[in-house]
Amino acid sequence: MTKRFSVVGLILTILAFVVVLIWLLPFYWALSVSLRPPSMTFTCKGICLPYLQFPPTLEHWKTELSSREMLRALLNSTIIAFLASFFTLILGTPAAYALARFRFRPRLVVILAFIFCAILAFTAATFGVDWRLALLAGFVIFLGFAMTLGNRFERRLANEDITLWFLSQRFLPPIVTVVPFLLIMSQLKLIDTRLALVLVNITFNLPFAIVIMRQAFIDLPIELEEAAMVDGASFFGSFYRVALRLTAPVMAATLMIILAFCWNELLFALNLGTLKAKTVPALLAGSSSTRGIQFWFVAVRALIALIPPTILALLAQRYIVRGLTFGAVKG
Amino acid sequence: MFPLLYSLRLGFFRVNVGQQDVFIGLANYARAFKDPNVWNAARVTLTFVLIGVTIQLILGLLFALLFNRALPARGVLRTIMTLPLFATPIGIGYMFITIFHEEGGFIRASLGAKIPWLSNPDWALVSVILVDIWNWTPFVFIVLLAALQSIPEEYYEAARLESSSQWELFRYITLPILQPSIILVLVLRMSEAFKVFDIPFSLTSGGPGIATETFSMLTFNTYRRFFDFGYGSALAYLLLIAVAIIVTSFFGRIRQAYT
Repeated sequence: MTKRFSVVGLILTILAFVVVLIWLLPFYWALSVSLRPPSMTFTCKGICLPYLQFPPTLEHWKTELSSREMLRALLNSTIIAFLASFFTLILGTPAAYALARFRFRPRLVVILAFIFCAILAFTAATFGVDWRLALLAGFVIFLGFAMTLGNRFERRLANEDITLWFLSQRFLPPIVTVVPFLLIMSQLKLIDTRLALVLVNITFNLPFAIVIMRQAFIDLPIELEEAAMVDGASFFGSFYRVALRLTAPVMAATLMIILAFCWNELLFALNLGTLKAKTVPALLAGSSSTRGIQFWFVAVRALIALIPPTILALLAQRYIVRGLTFGAVKG
Repeated sequence: MFPLLYSLRLGFFRVNVGQQDVFIGLANYARAFKDPNVWNAARVTLTFVLIGVTIQLILGLLFALLFNRALPARGVLRTIMTLPLFATPIGIGYMFITIFHEEGGFIRASLGAKIPWLSNPDWALVSVILVDIWNWTPFVFIVLLAALQSIPEEYYEAARLESSSQWELFRYITLPILQPSIILVLVLRMSEAFKVFDIPFSLTSGGPGIATETFSMLTFNTYRRFFDFGYGSALAYLLLIAVAIIVTSFFGRIRQAYT
Protein backbone atom coordinates (compact mmCIF):
# COMPACT_ATOMS: atom_id res chain seq x y z
CA MET A 1 0.00 0.00 0.00
CA THR A 2 1.33 3.43 -0.82
CA LYS A 3 1.16 6.16 1.74
CA ARG A 4 -0.49 9.24 0.42
CA PHE A 5 -1.02 12.57 1.96
CA SER A 6 -4.62 13.05 2.94
CA VAL A 7 -6.51 15.77 4.70
CA VAL A 8 -8.36 13.29 6.88
CA GLY A 9 -5.07 11.72 7.95
CA LEU A 10 -3.67 15.10 8.88
CA ILE A 11 -6.75 16.01 10.91
CA LEU A 12 -6.61 12.70 12.75
CA THR A 13 -2.91 13.19 13.50
CA ILE A 14 -3.56 16.66 14.88
CA LEU A 15 -6.44 15.24 16.91
CA ALA A 16 -4.14 12.62 18.44
CA PHE A 17 -1.67 15.32 19.44
CA VAL A 18 -4.46 17.40 20.97
CA VAL A 19 -5.58 14.41 23.04
CA VAL A 20 -2.06 13.90 24.33
CA LEU A 21 -1.75 17.60 25.16
CA ILE A 22 -5.02 17.53 27.12
CA TRP A 23 -3.73 14.58 29.09
CA LEU A 24 -0.46 16.36 29.83
CA LEU A 25 -2.13 19.57 30.86
CA PRO A 26 -2.72 18.80 34.58
CA PHE A 27 0.95 17.89 35.03
CA TYR A 28 2.03 21.07 33.31
CA TRP A 29 -0.34 23.27 35.26
CA ALA A 30 0.65 21.86 38.63
CA LEU A 31 4.30 22.38 37.71
CA SER A 32 3.58 25.92 36.62
CA VAL A 33 1.76 26.67 39.87
CA SER A 34 4.57 25.20 41.91
CA LEU A 35 7.14 27.44 40.23
CA ARG A 36 5.23 30.70 40.52
CA PRO A 37 6.07 33.27 43.15
CA PRO A 38 3.20 33.50 45.70
CA SER A 39 2.02 36.88 44.45
CA MET A 40 1.47 35.47 40.98
CA THR A 41 -0.43 32.38 42.07
CA PHE A 42 -3.87 33.70 41.36
CA THR A 43 -3.09 36.49 38.93
CA CYS A 44 -1.41 34.59 36.12
CA LYS A 45 -3.56 34.48 33.01
CA GLY A 46 -3.47 32.31 29.92
CA ILE A 47 -1.32 29.22 29.87
CA CYS A 48 1.20 30.88 32.13
CA LEU A 49 4.56 29.93 30.71
CA PRO A 50 7.55 30.22 33.04
CA TYR A 51 10.02 33.01 32.16
CA LEU A 52 7.58 34.58 29.71
CA GLN A 53 4.78 35.34 32.12
CA PHE A 54 6.42 35.03 35.49
CA PRO A 55 9.91 34.58 36.91
CA PRO A 56 10.12 30.93 38.03
CA THR A 57 11.27 30.23 41.54
CA LEU A 58 12.27 27.02 43.24
CA GLU A 59 11.41 28.51 46.62
CA HIS A 60 8.38 26.30 47.28
CA TRP A 61 10.23 23.15 46.33
CA LYS A 62 13.09 24.04 48.65
CA THR A 63 10.77 24.74 51.58
CA GLU A 64 8.86 21.55 51.04
CA LEU A 65 11.84 19.29 50.49
CA SER A 66 13.59 20.58 53.57
CA SER A 67 10.59 20.26 55.88
CA ARG A 68 11.13 17.50 58.39
CA GLU A 69 7.76 15.87 58.03
CA MET A 70 8.12 15.63 54.26
CA LEU A 71 11.60 14.13 54.52
CA ARG A 72 10.42 11.59 57.03
CA ALA A 73 7.43 10.69 54.90
CA LEU A 74 9.64 10.23 51.86
CA LEU A 75 11.98 8.01 53.84
CA ASN A 76 9.06 5.97 55.23
CA SER A 77 7.46 5.56 51.84
CA THR A 78 10.72 4.48 50.24
CA ILE A 79 11.59 1.95 52.93
CA ILE A 80 8.07 0.50 53.05
CA ALA A 81 7.74 0.26 49.28
CA PHE A 82 11.12 -1.39 48.79
CA LEU A 83 10.84 -3.88 51.64
CA ALA A 84 7.26 -4.80 50.81
CA SER A 85 7.82 -5.31 47.10
CA PHE A 86 11.06 -7.19 47.66
CA PHE A 87 9.47 -9.67 50.05
CA THR A 88 6.37 -9.95 47.90
CA LEU A 89 8.54 -11.19 45.06
CA ILE A 90 10.59 -13.49 47.31
CA LEU A 91 7.40 -15.14 48.55
CA GLY A 92 5.46 -14.94 45.33
CA THR A 93 7.96 -16.25 42.80
CA PRO A 94 8.35 -19.79 44.22
CA ALA A 95 4.60 -20.03 44.67
CA ALA A 96 4.07 -18.91 41.09
CA TYR A 97 6.64 -21.42 39.88
CA ALA A 98 4.93 -24.22 41.76
CA LEU A 99 1.57 -23.24 40.26
CA ALA A 100 3.04 -23.13 36.78
CA ARG A 101 5.03 -26.37 36.86
CA PHE A 102 3.34 -28.81 39.22
CA ARG A 103 -0.18 -30.12 39.21
CA PHE A 104 -2.16 -29.68 42.36
CA ARG A 105 -5.35 -31.65 42.69
CA PRO A 106 -6.80 -30.85 46.07
CA ARG A 107 -10.20 -32.32 46.83
CA LEU A 108 -12.83 -29.62 46.85
CA VAL A 109 -14.59 -31.11 49.84
CA VAL A 110 -11.45 -31.05 51.96
CA ILE A 111 -11.00 -27.36 51.36
CA LEU A 112 -14.64 -26.68 52.15
CA ALA A 113 -14.28 -28.71 55.33
CA PHE A 114 -11.24 -26.69 56.27
CA ILE A 115 -13.08 -23.41 55.78
CA PHE A 116 -16.09 -24.75 57.64
CA CYS A 117 -13.99 -25.87 60.62
CA ALA A 118 -12.18 -22.54 60.66
CA ILE A 119 -15.50 -20.71 60.82
CA LEU A 120 -16.70 -23.12 63.49
CA ALA A 121 -13.64 -22.57 65.67
CA PHE A 122 -13.87 -18.86 65.10
CA THR A 123 -17.53 -18.68 66.07
CA ALA A 124 -16.88 -20.77 69.17
CA ALA A 125 -14.08 -18.44 70.18
CA THR A 126 -16.37 -15.49 69.62
CA PHE A 127 -18.91 -16.86 72.03
CA GLY A 128 -16.54 -17.26 74.90
CA VAL A 129 -14.83 -20.62 74.35
CA ASP A 130 -11.09 -20.42 74.99
CA TRP A 131 -9.54 -19.78 71.56
CA ARG A 132 -6.78 -22.41 71.95
CA LEU A 133 -9.37 -25.04 72.73
CA ALA A 134 -11.54 -23.92 69.84
CA LEU A 135 -8.60 -24.01 67.42
CA LEU A 136 -7.57 -27.50 68.57
CA ALA A 137 -11.12 -28.84 68.37
CA GLY A 138 -11.59 -27.34 64.92
CA PHE A 139 -8.34 -28.90 63.74
CA VAL A 140 -9.25 -32.34 65.12
CA ILE A 141 -12.68 -32.26 63.50
CA PHE A 142 -11.10 -31.25 60.22
CA LEU A 143 -8.47 -34.03 60.33
CA GLY A 144 -11.06 -36.63 61.24
CA PHE A 145 -13.28 -35.53 58.40
CA ALA A 146 -10.53 -35.30 55.83
CA MET A 147 -9.27 -38.80 56.60
CA THR A 148 -12.63 -40.55 56.62
CA LEU A 149 -15.51 -39.02 54.75
CA GLY A 150 -13.34 -36.72 52.66
CA ASN A 151 -12.01 -39.57 50.55
CA ARG A 152 -15.45 -40.41 49.28
CA PHE A 153 -15.91 -37.24 47.26
CA GLU A 154 -14.23 -37.13 43.91
CA ARG A 155 -14.63 -33.50 42.93
CA ARG A 156 -11.17 -31.94 42.73
CA LEU A 157 -9.79 -28.51 42.09
CA ALA A 158 -6.94 -27.72 39.74
CA ASN A 159 -4.18 -25.16 39.52
CA GLU A 160 -6.47 -22.82 37.62
CA ASP A 161 -8.85 -22.65 40.55
CA ILE A 162 -6.02 -21.81 42.90
CA THR A 163 -4.90 -19.06 40.56
CA LEU A 164 -8.43 -17.72 40.39
CA TRP A 165 -8.60 -17.73 44.14
CA PHE A 166 -5.50 -15.55 44.27
CA LEU A 167 -6.97 -13.33 41.61
CA SER A 168 -10.20 -12.90 43.53
CA GLN A 169 -8.20 -11.28 46.31
CA ARG A 170 -7.46 -8.43 43.92
CA PHE A 171 -11.15 -7.72 43.45
CA LEU A 172 -11.76 -7.53 47.18
CA PRO A 173 -12.49 -3.97 48.34
CA PRO A 174 -9.63 -3.25 50.73
CA ILE A 175 -11.93 -1.29 53.04
CA VAL A 176 -13.40 -4.61 54.21
CA THR A 177 -10.12 -5.59 55.79
CA VAL A 178 -9.17 -2.26 57.34
CA VAL A 179 -10.61 -2.85 60.79
CA PRO A 180 -9.42 -6.45 61.12
CA PHE A 181 -5.90 -5.36 60.19
CA LEU A 182 -6.15 -2.47 62.60
CA LEU A 183 -7.11 -4.82 65.42
CA ILE A 184 -4.50 -7.43 64.49
CA MET A 185 -1.78 -4.81 64.40
CA SER A 186 -2.85 -3.34 67.71
CA GLN A 187 -2.73 -6.83 69.24
CA LEU A 188 0.79 -7.24 67.90
CA LYS A 189 1.70 -3.73 69.10
CA LEU A 190 2.59 -2.76 65.56
CA ILE A 191 0.39 0.31 65.15
CA ASP A 192 2.29 3.20 63.63
CA THR A 193 5.29 1.13 62.62
CA ARG A 194 6.74 0.64 59.18
CA LEU A 195 6.62 -3.12 59.71
CA ALA A 196 2.82 -3.05 59.89
CA LEU A 197 2.57 -1.27 56.55
CA VAL A 198 5.14 -3.58 55.00
CA LEU A 199 3.09 -6.59 56.10
CA VAL A 200 -0.17 -5.14 54.80
CA ASN A 201 1.38 -4.25 51.46
CA ILE A 202 2.82 -7.74 51.12
CA THR A 203 -0.60 -9.25 51.79
CA PHE A 204 -2.23 -7.11 49.16
CA ASN A 205 0.36 -7.49 46.43
CA LEU A 206 1.22 -11.15 46.83
CA PRO A 207 -1.72 -12.36 44.70
CA PHE A 208 -0.68 -9.94 41.98
CA ALA A 209 2.93 -11.16 42.00
CA ILE A 210 1.81 -14.80 41.93
CA VAL A 211 -0.59 -14.35 39.02
CA ILE A 212 1.88 -12.37 36.91
CA MET A 213 4.89 -14.58 37.62
CA ARG A 214 2.88 -17.74 37.02
CA GLN A 215 2.07 -16.51 33.55
CA ALA A 216 5.73 -15.70 32.95
CA PHE A 217 6.78 -19.23 33.95
CA ILE A 218 4.06 -20.79 31.82
CA ASP A 219 5.29 -18.81 28.81
CA LEU A 220 8.76 -20.23 29.35
CA PRO A 221 9.29 -23.47 27.38
CA ILE A 222 9.67 -26.28 29.87
CA GLU A 223 12.26 -27.91 27.60
CA LEU A 224 14.85 -25.40 28.76
CA GLU A 225 14.56 -26.58 32.34
CA GLU A 226 14.48 -30.20 31.28
CA ALA A 227 17.66 -29.66 29.31
CA ALA A 228 19.30 -28.21 32.38
CA MET A 229 18.20 -31.21 34.43
CA VAL A 230 19.59 -33.58 31.82
CA ASP A 231 22.86 -31.72 32.00
CA GLY A 232 23.03 -32.50 35.67
CA ALA A 233 21.43 -29.50 37.30
CA SER A 234 19.47 -30.22 40.44
CA PHE A 235 15.82 -29.25 40.62
CA PHE A 236 16.68 -26.05 42.46
CA GLY A 237 19.54 -25.48 40.08
CA SER A 238 17.21 -25.53 37.11
CA PHE A 239 14.79 -23.25 38.89
CA TYR A 240 17.47 -20.82 39.95
CA ARG A 241 19.81 -20.88 36.95
CA VAL A 242 17.30 -21.27 34.15
CA ALA A 243 13.76 -20.30 35.09
CA LEU A 244 14.65 -17.36 37.31
CA ARG A 245 17.28 -15.99 34.95
CA LEU A 246 14.99 -16.12 31.97
CA THR A 247 12.05 -14.49 33.69
CA ALA A 248 14.24 -11.77 35.19
CA PRO A 249 12.81 -9.00 32.96
CA VAL A 250 9.25 -9.82 33.96
CA MET A 251 10.36 -10.03 37.56
CA ALA A 252 11.98 -6.61 37.37
CA ALA A 253 8.85 -5.14 35.82
CA THR A 254 6.65 -6.80 38.45
CA LEU A 255 8.90 -5.38 41.13
CA MET A 256 8.51 -1.90 39.72
CA ILE A 257 4.75 -2.17 39.40
CA ILE A 258 4.43 -3.41 42.97
CA LEU A 259 6.75 -0.62 44.11
CA ALA A 260 4.34 1.86 42.56
CA PHE A 261 1.33 0.14 44.15
CA CYS A 262 2.96 0.25 47.58
CA TRP A 263 3.95 3.86 47.13
CA ASN A 264 0.39 4.79 46.19
CA GLU A 265 -1.32 2.89 48.99
CA LEU A 266 -3.42 5.32 51.03
CA LEU A 267 -6.17 3.57 52.94
CA PHE A 268 -3.96 1.50 55.22
CA ALA A 269 -1.30 4.18 55.48
CA LEU A 270 -3.98 6.47 56.91
CA ASN A 271 -5.01 3.92 59.50
CA LEU A 272 -1.78 2.23 60.43
CA GLY A 273 0.77 4.99 60.03
CA THR A 274 -0.51 7.99 61.88
CA LEU A 275 2.67 9.66 63.08
CA LYS A 276 6.02 7.93 62.96
CA ALA A 277 5.26 5.69 60.00
CA LYS A 278 3.41 8.32 57.97
CA THR A 279 3.89 7.81 54.24
CA VAL A 280 3.76 10.46 51.55
CA PRO A 281 0.12 9.79 50.56
CA ALA A 282 -0.92 9.87 54.21
CA LEU A 283 0.95 13.13 54.69
CA LEU A 284 -0.86 14.56 51.69
CA ALA A 285 -4.19 13.43 53.04
CA GLY A 286 -3.60 15.34 56.25
CA SER A 287 -2.29 18.48 54.65
CA SER A 288 -5.55 20.03 53.52
CA SER A 289 -6.94 20.20 57.03
CA THR A 290 -3.81 21.29 58.90
CA ARG A 291 -2.47 24.07 56.75
CA GLY A 292 -5.45 25.04 54.68
CA ILE A 293 -5.38 24.87 50.94
CA GLN A 294 -2.31 26.82 49.97
CA PHE A 295 -2.12 26.65 46.30
CA TRP A 296 1.56 26.24 45.54
CA PHE A 297 1.88 23.94 48.50
CA VAL A 298 -0.77 21.60 47.13
CA ALA A 299 0.92 21.60 43.73
CA VAL A 300 4.38 20.82 45.11
CA ARG A 301 3.15 18.04 47.33
CA ALA A 302 1.07 16.47 44.59
CA LEU A 303 4.07 16.46 42.27
CA ILE A 304 6.39 15.01 44.90
CA ALA A 305 3.95 12.15 45.40
CA LEU A 306 3.43 11.65 41.67
CA ILE A 307 6.97 11.67 40.37
CA PRO A 308 8.37 8.36 41.73
CA PRO A 309 5.56 6.07 40.54
CA THR A 310 5.43 7.88 37.21
CA ILE A 311 9.12 7.22 36.67
CA LEU A 312 8.55 3.58 37.59
CA ALA A 313 5.76 3.43 35.03
CA LEU A 314 8.15 4.74 32.40
CA LEU A 315 10.73 2.10 33.30
CA ALA A 316 8.20 -0.73 33.22
CA GLN A 317 6.60 0.62 30.06
CA ARG A 318 6.67 -2.64 28.12
CA TYR A 319 4.87 -4.55 30.85
CA ILE A 320 2.24 -2.00 31.83
CA VAL A 321 -0.60 -3.59 29.92
CA ARG A 322 0.26 -7.01 31.26
CA GLY A 323 0.57 -5.66 34.78
CA LEU A 324 -2.68 -3.74 34.88
CA THR A 325 -4.75 -6.58 33.47
CA PHE A 326 -3.01 -9.07 35.76
CA GLY A 327 -1.44 -10.87 32.85
CA ALA A 328 -4.58 -11.36 30.78
CA VAL A 329 -3.36 -9.16 27.92
CA LYS A 330 0.23 -9.00 26.71
CA GLY A 331 0.98 -5.55 25.39
CA MET B 1 -9.08 -15.35 55.05
CA PHE B 2 -8.86 -14.27 58.65
CA PRO B 3 -9.49 -10.54 58.18
CA LEU B 4 -12.53 -11.40 56.06
CA LEU B 5 -14.02 -13.65 58.71
CA TYR B 6 -13.22 -11.15 61.37
CA SER B 7 -15.04 -8.31 59.70
CA LEU B 8 -17.96 -10.61 58.94
CA ARG B 9 -18.18 -11.25 62.66
CA LEU B 10 -17.87 -7.56 63.51
CA GLY B 11 -20.82 -6.85 61.25
CA PHE B 12 -23.11 -8.74 63.61
CA PHE B 13 -21.99 -6.95 66.75
CA ARG B 14 -22.26 -3.61 68.37
CA VAL B 15 -18.68 -2.65 69.02
CA ASN B 16 -17.70 -0.04 71.52
CA VAL B 17 -14.04 0.51 72.13
CA GLY B 18 -13.14 -0.63 75.61
CA GLN B 19 -16.34 -2.62 76.13
CA GLN B 20 -17.45 -6.14 75.51
CA ASP B 21 -18.91 -6.53 72.02
CA VAL B 22 -22.63 -7.17 72.00
CA PHE B 23 -24.21 -9.58 69.54
CA ILE B 24 -27.05 -7.82 67.77
CA GLY B 25 -27.66 -10.13 64.82
CA LEU B 26 -28.65 -8.38 61.64
CA ALA B 27 -29.41 -5.06 63.31
CA ASN B 28 -26.39 -3.38 61.68
CA TYR B 29 -27.61 -4.41 58.27
CA ALA B 30 -31.15 -3.32 59.03
CA ARG B 31 -29.79 0.03 60.13
CA ALA B 32 -27.84 0.35 56.89
CA PHE B 33 -30.99 -0.05 54.83
CA LYS B 34 -32.72 2.74 56.75
CA ASP B 35 -29.73 5.09 56.76
CA PRO B 36 -30.17 7.96 54.23
CA ASN B 37 -26.38 8.39 54.13
CA VAL B 38 -26.02 4.84 52.86
CA TRP B 39 -28.53 5.43 50.09
CA ASN B 40 -26.77 8.64 49.21
CA ALA B 41 -23.40 6.89 49.08
CA ALA B 42 -24.88 4.11 46.97
CA ARG B 43 -26.35 6.66 44.56
CA VAL B 44 -23.07 8.59 44.32
CA THR B 45 -21.05 5.44 43.78
CA LEU B 46 -23.43 4.08 41.15
CA THR B 47 -23.50 7.36 39.25
CA PHE B 48 -19.73 7.50 39.43
CA VAL B 49 -19.30 3.95 38.19
CA LEU B 50 -21.91 3.97 35.44
CA ILE B 51 -21.16 7.36 33.92
CA GLY B 52 -17.42 7.25 34.54
CA VAL B 53 -16.80 3.77 33.18
CA THR B 54 -19.06 4.27 30.16
CA ILE B 55 -17.25 7.43 29.11
CA GLN B 56 -13.88 5.81 29.73
CA LEU B 57 -14.79 2.88 27.52
CA ILE B 58 -16.02 5.06 24.67
CA LEU B 59 -13.13 7.51 24.84
CA GLY B 60 -10.60 4.73 25.31
CA LEU B 61 -11.89 2.91 22.24
CA LEU B 62 -11.88 6.11 20.17
CA PHE B 63 -8.34 6.95 21.25
CA ALA B 64 -7.17 3.42 20.53
CA LEU B 65 -8.58 3.66 17.01
CA LEU B 66 -7.05 7.10 16.62
CA PHE B 67 -3.60 5.85 17.60
CA ASN B 68 -3.77 2.61 15.66
CA ARG B 69 -2.36 4.17 12.50
CA ALA B 70 0.82 5.68 11.24
CA LEU B 71 1.55 8.61 13.52
CA PRO B 72 4.73 10.57 14.02
CA ALA B 73 6.34 9.69 17.38
CA ARG B 74 3.60 7.22 18.20
CA GLY B 75 5.67 5.43 20.85
CA VAL B 76 6.29 8.66 22.72
CA LEU B 77 2.65 9.70 22.54
CA ARG B 78 1.53 6.31 23.79
CA THR B 79 4.00 6.52 26.68
CA ILE B 80 2.72 9.96 27.65
CA MET B 81 -0.82 8.61 27.71
CA THR B 82 0.20 5.92 30.21
CA LEU B 83 1.59 8.43 32.72
CA PRO B 84 -1.62 8.78 34.78
CA LEU B 85 -1.92 5.04 35.28
CA PHE B 86 0.57 4.65 38.08
CA ALA B 87 0.36 8.15 39.45
CA THR B 88 -0.52 8.33 43.11
CA PRO B 89 -4.33 8.76 43.20
CA ILE B 90 -4.21 11.19 46.07
CA GLY B 91 -1.55 13.19 44.25
CA ILE B 92 -3.86 13.30 41.25
CA GLY B 93 -6.63 14.61 43.45
CA TYR B 94 -4.45 17.42 44.72
CA MET B 95 -3.12 18.13 41.28
CA PHE B 96 -6.65 18.60 40.02
CA ILE B 97 -7.42 21.03 42.80
CA THR B 98 -5.01 23.31 40.97
CA ILE B 99 -7.08 22.80 37.82
CA PHE B 100 -10.53 23.20 39.32
CA HIS B 101 -9.78 25.85 41.91
CA GLU B 102 -12.33 28.59 41.56
CA GLU B 103 -9.93 31.50 41.69
CA GLY B 104 -6.58 30.39 40.35
CA GLY B 105 -7.41 27.07 38.75
CA PHE B 106 -6.54 26.49 35.14
CA ILE B 107 -10.14 26.54 34.00
CA ARG B 108 -10.79 29.89 35.66
CA ALA B 109 -7.48 31.53 34.91
CA SER B 110 -6.97 30.37 31.37
CA LEU B 111 -10.34 29.50 29.96
CA GLY B 112 -12.20 32.12 31.93
CA ALA B 113 -15.10 29.82 32.70
CA LYS B 114 -16.49 30.45 36.14
CA ILE B 115 -17.91 27.14 37.25
CA PRO B 116 -18.31 26.17 40.91
CA TRP B 117 -16.37 22.92 40.34
CA LEU B 118 -15.86 21.93 43.92
CA SER B 119 -18.45 23.89 45.89
CA ASN B 120 -21.62 22.96 44.05
CA PRO B 121 -22.86 19.43 44.84
CA ASP B 122 -23.60 18.47 41.24
CA TRP B 123 -20.46 20.01 39.80
CA ALA B 124 -18.37 18.37 42.50
CA LEU B 125 -19.56 14.96 41.36
CA VAL B 126 -18.82 15.96 37.77
CA SER B 127 -15.30 16.97 38.80
CA VAL B 128 -14.67 13.65 40.52
CA ILE B 129 -15.89 11.76 37.46
CA LEU B 130 -13.77 13.94 35.17
CA VAL B 131 -10.65 13.18 37.20
CA ASP B 132 -11.43 9.48 37.08
CA ILE B 133 -11.85 9.72 33.32
CA TRP B 134 -8.49 11.45 33.04
CA ASN B 135 -6.92 8.80 35.23
CA TRP B 136 -8.36 5.63 33.69
CA THR B 137 -9.21 6.29 30.05
CA PRO B 138 -5.54 5.58 29.27
CA PHE B 139 -5.99 2.11 30.75
CA VAL B 140 -8.84 1.29 28.39
CA PHE B 141 -6.82 2.91 25.65
CA ILE B 142 -3.62 0.89 25.99
CA VAL B 143 -5.40 -2.42 26.48
CA LEU B 144 -7.57 -1.90 23.41
CA LEU B 145 -4.63 -0.57 21.43
CA ALA B 146 -2.71 -3.74 22.24
CA ALA B 147 -5.70 -5.76 21.08
CA LEU B 148 -6.04 -3.71 17.89
CA GLN B 149 -2.41 -4.19 17.01
CA SER B 150 -2.75 -7.92 17.35
CA ILE B 151 -5.29 -8.03 14.49
CA PRO B 152 -3.50 -9.25 11.37
CA GLU B 153 -3.72 -6.90 8.39
CA GLU B 154 -4.80 -9.87 6.23
CA TYR B 155 -8.22 -9.87 7.87
CA TYR B 156 -8.89 -6.41 6.55
CA GLU B 157 -7.41 -7.17 3.15
CA ALA B 158 -9.66 -10.17 2.81
CA ALA B 159 -12.66 -8.21 3.99
CA ARG B 160 -12.03 -5.36 1.59
CA LEU B 161 -12.76 -7.76 -1.23
CA GLU B 162 -16.25 -8.13 0.17
CA SER B 163 -17.02 -4.64 1.29
CA SER B 164 -15.41 -1.27 1.18
CA SER B 165 -17.37 0.40 3.94
CA GLN B 166 -15.14 1.43 6.83
CA TRP B 167 -18.04 1.03 9.19
CA GLU B 168 -18.66 -2.55 8.10
CA LEU B 169 -14.99 -3.40 8.53
CA PHE B 170 -15.16 -2.00 12.01
CA ARG B 171 -18.46 -3.60 12.85
CA TYR B 172 -17.74 -7.12 11.60
CA ILE B 173 -14.00 -7.46 12.15
CA THR B 174 -12.63 -5.00 14.68
CA LEU B 175 -15.45 -5.10 17.22
CA PRO B 176 -15.79 -8.90 17.45
CA ILE B 177 -12.03 -9.25 17.91
CA LEU B 178 -11.98 -6.53 20.53
CA GLN B 179 -14.98 -7.88 22.39
CA PRO B 180 -13.11 -10.08 24.90
CA SER B 181 -10.73 -7.23 25.74
CA ILE B 182 -13.60 -4.80 26.14
CA ILE B 183 -15.35 -7.10 28.58
CA LEU B 184 -12.15 -7.66 30.52
CA VAL B 185 -11.54 -3.93 30.79
CA LEU B 186 -15.14 -3.40 31.79
CA VAL B 187 -14.93 -5.88 34.66
CA LEU B 188 -11.62 -4.56 35.92
CA ARG B 189 -12.73 -0.95 35.72
CA MET B 190 -16.14 -1.56 37.34
CA SER B 191 -14.72 -3.52 40.25
CA GLU B 192 -12.07 -0.84 40.77
CA ALA B 193 -14.48 2.06 40.41
CA PHE B 194 -16.82 0.65 43.05
CA LYS B 195 -14.01 0.86 45.58
CA VAL B 196 -13.05 4.42 44.71
CA PHE B 197 -11.71 6.24 47.71
CA ASP B 198 -8.52 8.23 47.17
CA ILE B 199 -9.67 10.68 44.53
CA PRO B 200 -12.89 11.97 46.12
CA PHE B 201 -11.08 11.88 49.45
CA SER B 202 -8.39 14.26 48.24
CA LEU B 203 -10.37 16.31 45.76
CA THR B 204 -13.54 17.06 47.69
CA SER B 205 -13.32 15.08 50.96
CA GLY B 206 -16.76 13.80 50.07
CA GLY B 207 -18.17 17.27 50.05
CA PRO B 208 -19.73 19.65 49.74
CA GLY B 209 -21.82 18.02 52.42
CA ILE B 210 -22.01 14.43 51.35
CA ALA B 211 -22.45 15.10 47.64
CA THR B 212 -19.41 13.07 46.61
CA GLU B 213 -19.21 10.65 49.51
CA THR B 214 -18.67 7.26 47.91
CA PHE B 215 -19.38 3.98 49.61
CA SER B 216 -15.78 3.36 50.59
CA MET B 217 -15.56 6.84 52.06
CA LEU B 218 -18.75 6.42 54.04
CA THR B 219 -17.40 3.20 55.49
CA PHE B 220 -14.08 4.82 56.25
CA ASN B 221 -15.75 7.74 57.99
CA THR B 222 -17.88 5.38 60.05
CA TYR B 223 -14.68 3.77 61.28
CA ARG B 224 -12.61 6.84 61.76
CA ARG B 225 -14.93 9.53 62.95
CA PHE B 226 -17.40 7.50 64.91
CA PHE B 227 -15.29 4.42 65.73
CA ASP B 228 -18.35 2.39 64.90
CA PHE B 229 -16.55 -0.77 63.86
CA GLY B 230 -19.63 -2.99 63.85
CA TYR B 231 -21.70 -0.78 61.58
CA GLY B 232 -18.69 0.01 59.43
CA SER B 233 -17.98 -3.68 58.87
CA ALA B 234 -21.58 -4.25 57.86
CA LEU B 235 -21.27 -1.44 55.30
CA ALA B 236 -17.97 -2.84 54.04
CA TYR B 237 -19.65 -6.18 53.54
CA LEU B 238 -22.43 -4.61 51.52
CA LEU B 239 -19.78 -3.17 49.22
CA LEU B 240 -18.04 -6.53 49.03
CA ILE B 241 -21.31 -8.16 48.00
CA ALA B 242 -21.85 -5.54 45.28
CA VAL B 243 -18.38 -6.09 43.83
CA ALA B 244 -18.78 -9.85 44.14
CA ILE B 245 -22.01 -9.73 42.13
CA ILE B 246 -20.29 -7.87 39.30
CA VAL B 247 -17.24 -10.12 39.29
CA THR B 248 -19.18 -13.37 39.44
CA SER B 249 -21.54 -12.26 36.70
CA PHE B 250 -18.51 -12.10 34.43
CA PHE B 251 -16.88 -15.12 36.03
CA GLY B 252 -16.76 -17.27 32.92
CA ARG B 253 -15.02 -14.53 31.01
CA ILE B 254 -12.47 -13.91 33.76
CA ARG B 255 -11.74 -17.59 34.03
CA GLN B 256 -11.12 -17.79 30.33
CA ALA B 257 -8.85 -14.77 30.35
CA TYR B 258 -6.62 -16.03 33.11
CA THR B 259 -6.33 -19.74 32.65
